[in-house]
Amino acid sequence: MTFSLKRVYAIFTKDYKDLLKNSYVLFGIALPILYAMMVNRIGDQDPYFNFLPINLALVVTGAFIQAAIVAEEKEKNTLRGLLLSPASTLEILIGKSVLSAVVTTLVILICIKLSGFVIVSLSLFALMIFLNLITYLAVGTMLGLLSRTVMETSIIGMPFMIVFGMMSNFKPLFNNEILLKGIDYLPSEQFTFAWIKIGEGGQFGDIIGELIVLTIWAVAAVVITIITYGKRRFDK
Amino acid sequence: MNNIIEVKNLSKSFGNKMALKNVSFKVQKGETFGFLGPSGSGKTTTIKMLTSQLIQTTGEIKVFDQLLKKQKDPLFMKRIGILTDNSGLYERLTVYENLLLYSQLYDVNQKQINGVLEVVNLQNDSKTQVKKLSKGMKQRITLARAMLHKPDLLFLDEPTSSLDPVNTKHIHDGLRQLNKQGTTIFLTTHDMMEAEHLCDRVAFLHQGEIKQLDTPQNLRIQYMDSSVTLLLKDNQSIVVDKDEKGAETIYQYMKSGEVISIHSNEPTLGEIFVQITGRELA
Ligand SMILES: Nc1ncnc2c1ncn2[C@@H]1O[C@H](COP(=O)(O)OP(=O)(O)OP(=O)(O)O)[C@@H](O)[C@H]1O
Ligand SMILES: [Mg+2]
Repeated sequence: MTFSLKRVYAIFTKDYKDLLKNSYVLFGIALPILYAMMVNRIGDQDPYFNFLPINLALVVTGAFIQAAIVAEEKEKNTLRGLLLSPASTLEILIGKSVLSAVVTTLVILICIKLSGFVIVSLSLFALMIFLNLITYLAVGTMLGLLSRTVMETSIIGMPFMIVFGMMSNFKPLFNNEILLKGIDYLPSEQFTFAWIKIGEGGQFGDIIGELIVLTIWAVAAVVITIITYGKRRFDK
Repeated sequence: MNNIIEVKNLSKSFGNKMALKNVSFKVQKGETFGFLGPSGSGKTTTIKMLTSQLIQTTGEIKVFDQLLKKQKDPLFMKRIGILTDNSGLYERLTVYENLLLYSQLYDVNQKQINGVLEVVNLQNDSKTQVKKLSKGMKQRITLARAMLHKPDLLFLDEPTSSLDPVNTKHIHDGLRQLNKQGTTIFLTTHDMMEAEHLCDRVAFLHQGEIKQLDTPQNLRIQYMDSSVTLLLKDNQSIVVDKDEKGAETIYQYMKSGEVISIHSNEPTLGEIFVQITGRELA
């Protein structure tokens, strides 16, 4: 199969021009930033608490913006045009993800600056953010594909938002062992565990378990998204 | 390769409803082929199958001498253009920005954009945001988009359904021009005038079956009425058969100088359709 960077870039620039005029998306950018400002005001050193704005950036900015721009292509019948063009599945999916990835990364950087989050190891932090970005953008794409309209993404995405975005806050409410163990495997938890270890002087070798779990999340999310996309390609 | 499209015994059912029943036809290179039928007859379903948006229940479809592939082929997509009945546009972008994306996806020089905008009579709106345009204007942009890359085969699903006569004519001229440059056109419509103006051959589709397939001219001859109509000076019009008795009548009227005009009663495609199916088109 041929892969054309030119087509990926075409879809990316189109989305970029569109984003500047899309007020819905601006909300998804503002929320984590506001949260980061709040964290700064409170000045807590708890790593869970500090990681929250970054997690929000991944869930709200990453997944939700991605879901919204994918769903909008469906709602407005523009996805059909892309599907009927020479652009391949991969080109369309990547083209549509690059912008959300860039925006999310920017929001994360702003959040770090505002919340006073201290980066101990830049390379490991970047690696984990990268794996998380893939997971959340893939999940966002899937939510977008499953919704018929932009409005629907917020309904379909709600359970996802609660599980991925807020579950760690609810942890004290549960005392079911299996459930708590399950929550520990969420990407946000894995990220935090790894981050605590790094903060205590841990190296790559010490967080290999967390990295594997994050990689599994990323691969699984991408595979499931591609399958969903394939199913949605043809009209019924 | 003379047949651009070859369809054999094509059927499509949705659940237990047959939308298309055992349809066969061929579209030759360079022709404009019309698929005519009332709402719900299966026109869009056919186009969707020909462009692999929908998989047939049974039957065989060949486009450019090849069976349609399940896997998407960029080279194939480049050779076809599609205007569906619900092609969408990016509403927040301008007309030009919308076409720019497509010029990049199809590897077409950006300079072509203004040319197609002229064909659809929108050259003055290229900087306008799409959401500020009327329905007919949007339809013209999607049409411009479908022909931007000068495809070998262009599918048009009711291309002028929401256009006024002036723009319809403008589009028809553009399509004829494109056809002259070598694009084969597969068009669906329920506008008989459109079919008469554009199509080299037409198929009449009714309840998922092809009832007739021929040139408009042959159809008219085949269904020609065996009578002529005389318009007389007192504004009376009378219909006479083309036989001896009719000749006698015409002779009398002509002799007395009453006749203004004589017309053979060629049916329009619309009338032929009603004759064949017992149903109006629109
Ligand atoms: N996705 C679908 N699911 C179920 N039935 C369908 C579907 N698509 C089309 N049909 C049915 O197939 C038949 C043909 O529909 P089609 O859209 O091809 O008609 P058409 O000739 O394009 O009509 P129109 O002129 O209104 O566009 C209709 O009876 C329609 O109800
Ligand atoms: Mg239709």
